[in-house]
Amino acid sequence: MAKILIPTPLRQFAGGNDTVDVTGATVGEALTALTTAHPDLRKNLYNDAGALRSFVNVYLNDEDIRYLSKEATPMGDGDTISIVPSIAGGR
Amino acid sequence: MLTIEKAAWDVMVAHAEATYPNECCGVMLGKGKTVTRAKAVENTYQGAQEDRYEIRPEDLLAADREARKDGLDIVGIFHSHPDCAAYFSKTDLENSCPWYSFVVLSILKGKFDNAGSFLPNAEQTEAPEEELIWPKS
Repeated sequence: MAKILIPTPLRQFAGGNDTVDVTGATVGEALTALTTAHPDLRKNLYNDAGALRSFVNVYLNDEDIRYLSKEATPMGDGDTISIVPSIAGGR
Repeated sequence: MLTIEKAAWDVMVAHAEATYPNECCGVMLGKGKTVTRAKAVENTYQGAQEDRYEIRPEDLLAADREARKDGLDIVGIFHSHPDCAAYFSKTDLENSCPWYSFVVLSILKGKFDNAGSFLPNAEQTEAPEEELIWPKS
């Protein structure tokens, strides 16, 4: 069992939970389990093409999965997945 | 409506003035639509920081962990516009996230002048302004 930390604004789409326990062999499977249990989360995390939205980063513990094996990154019991947005800008 | 308490506001203005003429950035923590704590973070934009900012995702992750530990939430993001109005620019919009309030502080000649708060949509096509309450000293 792994844990996904839900950002505050998305908790309304996750039954009000700040964390959701999931099972899966990879981060992608865990995210699929999350959005299957809470379908309203899907449009917040994925675009119409089924890819993670451009501003969505996913961390497995302290590592950005983009620098691991992306959604195929293996995971196991006790791991924590965080959803972290990209934020930038300027005048 | 977003309300920023004095302790947080003081951190935001001090950070924005200290980094002038570059843009600053940071994370606002609190509950609901009230900001009780502000965290200044490093502007990691690789280039001219007079008109750009970027927040390292690891800094946001650290802010989220701190918020959870202290029973708070990430309420929003702040950054400054040196010698420029407190508006939500095209660059701001194109690099935004629809999950948070975005506060922009206008810093003119090194001193705070004005601020606004904006709520970008998921398509990054518009960011309506919301009422912003900050301590007037």
